[in-house]
Amino acid sequence: MAEFPIACNLQGDYGYKVIVIDDADTVADIIRKTTDQLIGVLVAPFPPDTVLKAKIHGAETPLADTATVKDAAIIQMAAIDIYAES
Amino acid sequence: MTLLKMEDWYDLARQTNWTPGYVSDEELYPSPMSNDFGIPVETWETFDEPYKVSYRDYVRSQRDKDVAAYSVKAALARAQFFKKASPHWKALLALHFSAVCWAEFHSASAFARMTRFSRCPGMRNMATFGTLDEIRHGQIQIYFAYEFLKHDAVFDWCHKSSKTENWIIISLRHAFDDIAHTRDATSTAVMLNMGLEQSFTNLQFVALSADAAKCGDHSFATMLQSIQTDEARHAQIGEPLVRILCENGRKQEAQQMVEISFWRMWKQFSALSGIGMDYYTPLEHREFSLKEFMEEWVIGQFGRTIEALGLDLPWYWDILKHDISTFHHSQQLGIYVYRATQWWRPIAGASPAERAWLEEKYPGWNNTYGKCWDVITENIRNGDYEKTVPVPPPLICNMCGLEVSGIAGDDWQAVDHSIDLDERRYHFCSEPCKWIFELEPARYKGHRSIIDRAFDGTIGPDMDDFYTYMGQSPEERGVCGYDYQWIDGYDTPSAAAAE
Repeated sequence: MAEFPIACNLQGDYGYKVIVIDDADTVADIIRKTTDQLIGVLVAPFPPDTVLKAKIHGAETPLADTATVKDAAIIQMAAIDIYAES
Repeated sequence: MTLLKMEDWYDLARQTNWTPGYVSDEELYPSPMSNDFGIPVETWETFDEPYKVSYRDYVRSQRDKDVAAYSVKAALARAQFFKKASPHWKALLALHFSAVCWAEFHSASAFARMTRFSRCPGMRNMATFGTLDEIRHGQIQIYFAYEFLKHDAVFDWCHKSSKTENWIIISLRHAFDDIAHTRDATSTAVMLNMGLEQSFTNLQFVALSADAAKCGDHSFATMLQSIQTDEARHAQIGEPLVRILCENGRKQEAQQMVEISFWRMWKQFSALSGIGMDYYTPLEHREFSLKEFMEEWVIGQFGRTIEALGLDLPWYWDILKHDISTFHHSQQLGIYVYRATQWWRPIAGASPAERAWLEEKYPGWNNTYGKCWDVITENIRNGDYEKTVPVPPPLICNMCGLEVSGIAGDDWQAVDHSIDLDERRYHFCSEPCKWIFELEPARYKGHRSIIDRAFDGTIGPDMDDFYTYMGQSPEERGVCGYDYQWIDGYDTPSAAAAE
């Protein structure tokens, strides 16, 4: 296991934040680590039952929640957008 | 004795080119320092500055300006303006003096390079005055700032800041090093005079001077006016230079130099002057927003100037028109929430009345950037001050050194531009920042942002290591300029907090 930084922009925030993750983390872990640090700080809580998804910035489709960092080919300092599924 | 009129001797006196006898032309004007762009020296000798001044007149005029500025300062020192000034204005003064004094002083080096290495005799003459101007601007601003040092130690940063690795200073230094200190005399003149002085100094000195006068800070207003009259004169070096380049097959090079330097300076002015105009100037004295000022003075006036010289509007002009309503609002949020990383005491500028002004000037502000301020405000109202500071650091642009930001709130838009080079990912806040990097990767790729340095081990792992690296003792870490009292205009603590 190795820690490394990625850049995440949570829906509603004004810009990217550098989040330190572990290469064994799943995409769901990335979403949780980001929301834990930003909801209630710069972003208001999402309505109950909101489903958050993550995608590589510029990609069309979201990453599978269960995919690991390695599975999803997320590299150091990759830009990840986290957003509410509509 | 009857003196000749200036027009009778001026042209002759500045024709100082000669044919070297003891060294070669290349030794006298080495390309890395001079760069004639393949244009013959006879053509460079046609450089004709629109504003002509003799040394005698220059000294007389500068003396008069200094007398006026120092007299006002001496008179107002007794009025103790600073003690009575609002935290808004104190923050703006601290930001201005600590970001501008040394940049002006360093500019003397850029003008001295033009004085020595320009191929145009007329330009060397003008650049000599420019060198003296910039020395004066550094001196007068440091001297005026010292007036405040007895009231507030933050003004120590007017001198100190340039020698630190504070992230704001790294950003400023990277931009100025790029356009003013690491290029040949011709390129430096085009980039500094056209890309900065003709385009943006009005923003910093004319608009700020008007605001200062309205705030009753006549000492600062007079000083800024006296500086701007110099800037307006020596900035004119750029116009004949660009004209010569365009008329001799070098338009593409001139266009690119203006586009690089203009964008680099826009980012700096957007973040620093932008928050100064829209958040730090006391509300009752604000007149124009940054957007309004940019539309009239820069997009309008500067745009017409460069087209008249034979250049095209920069390719990113539409991006700029969007950026003037967005970028600085994001940067203001970042500067406030990461306030401990600044040496001055940042202002939120988000009281109910200020929000109404922002919404009027930037329709939709409440539903975008205002949404982040809603959360910050709620935390302060609930006394939850720790939650007003994010734990994760921001992503920093590998060109401008400012935060990679988009649009917040309901119209959320994530913005990032990146490239991979030598097994490293570089991030940029905008397409033009990325474009500048891609023009010359070897020039820029070695630079590491403050965040890169935090993660590559250059900076130690603890927060104190971070501040020590940036030159900030515990007493030099920014705190809210109003000690959170700016939320007094909101309702009393929410029901949730009272429970």
